[in-house]
Amino acid sequence: MPDLEQQLTGLARAIDWPATPQIRVSFPAGEVLSLPARRGGSGWGRVLALAAAAAILIVATLLAYTPTRDVIAGWLNLHTTIHQEQHPPTPSPRPPGQLGSNLGLGTAVTLEEAQGQVSWKIAVPSALGRPDAVYLKLPPSGPSQGEVTLVYGHSPGINVSGQTGVAVLVTEARGAINENYFQKMIGPESTIQQVSVGGHPGYWIAGHPHDFVFTDANGNFQDDALRLATNTLIFDRSGTLVRIEGDMTKAQALQIAGSI
Amino acid sequence: MEGRPADDSVLIARAVRGDSAAYEEIVKRYQQVAFRTAYVITGSAADAEDAAQEGFVKAYRALDRFRLDADFRPWLLRIMANEARNRVRSSGRRHRLELRLSEGFRPGDAAPSPEAVAVAMDERRRLLAMVNELGDDDRMVIASRYFLELSGEETAAALGIAEGTVKSRLSRALARLRARVEETANA
Repeated sequence: MPDLEQQLTGLARAIDWPATPQIRVSFPAGEVLSLPARRGGSGWGRVLALAAAAAILIVATLLAYTPTRDVIAGWLNLHTTIHQEQHPPTPSPRPPGQLGSNLGLGTAVTLEEAQGQVSWKIAVPSALGRPDAVYLKLPPSGPSQGEVTLVYGHSPGINVSGQTGVAVLVTEARGAINENYFQKMIGPESTIQQVSVGGHPGYWIAGHPHDFVFTDANGNFQDDALRLATNTLIFDRSGTLVRIEGDMTKAQALQIAGSI
Repeated sequence: MEGRPADDSVLIARAVRGDSAAYEEIVKRYQQVAFRTAYVITGSAADAEDAAQEGFVKAYRALDRFRLDADFRPWLLRIMANEARNRVRSSGRRHRLELRLSEGFRPGDAAPSPEAVAVAMDERRRLLAMVNELGDDDRMVIASRYFLELSGEETAAALGIAEGTVKSRLSRALARLRARVEETANA
């Protein structure tokens, strides 16, 4: 009898899979679809990324957003309704509009308005003070119980991103860290280290991580971006996941987290 | 070069610039593996179709986060698998995956006799039935690696586990399947 693994491999061609449906990815008329500018990668990837960002900037400058929206909205006819925000591409050195408006963080609100929409007490680090901007992202584009991001344009000792004009982001959502994904998501250029923030378990990710997967309050997987692609501290504050992103050291991040 | 398929990274860069045809090409290229991966997780063709549909929308929206120097397929399959798992979770049920043998399939041996074909088909049918009887974790890891022919990295992405866990889980699944095969042979 052939080896079991060989037999299984042989079965691959014999499986009667259901017919693959024609997948049509499209967006309803009037839907605004835009992609934020790509952040840099490495090697030739970075070159392509920069080229893509430059192209988006040129196209956006020439066309503004309306013709682009019309063109893209005319793509197809989708069954799925998606809430999406528009992000102006690659502003430099400081994006126009409200701080953080190009990061796809949701709707700009006041801290009080955000607090009225979420079930947990929004944690504001006293080391940073009152945020310069607050964004709220609700389902379906956000986690099941919403996501709040506090945006800071300045913080002593922390560099401000030339691309975004943001120094620190503090993002909060009800959910849990999915540890299975950490290794896969972080990428080879980043390192991960377990930390404790006031007794709460967390991770310090140094390098340039871009993505973060967690399970929200309903247990759904949420694939979220780490917006600044800088060092990130993530910790579970009694069921609320807090992420602190910025060009900062671990000690600075822990100090901010400790001031919550 | 004319007629040569464009690299994923080229298509992705074009899609990010708003080239709808480029993204349609990506969808066309990966819709089968995306749908089948979702099917392995949900056990339902309807749920798998919905998951793949939504997964491609989410992938498009997340394209700016994809690093062009990384492999696209594992990244895409992770999004598809998340969608599939979310569907299973929200519906509160997982259909039991029942893989079947294609009736039209014939073993590849040169001009086998009708008897040899029948024996080979019967062996395959029995083996597949034993795979179907395995627990969810065992069945999914075997289906991912052998039937979907995913790499270790892609299987890890699809199943939401670390790559090292894929190896250990697969090893245990094969051991259990081997035991069943031997048990049946000795019966």
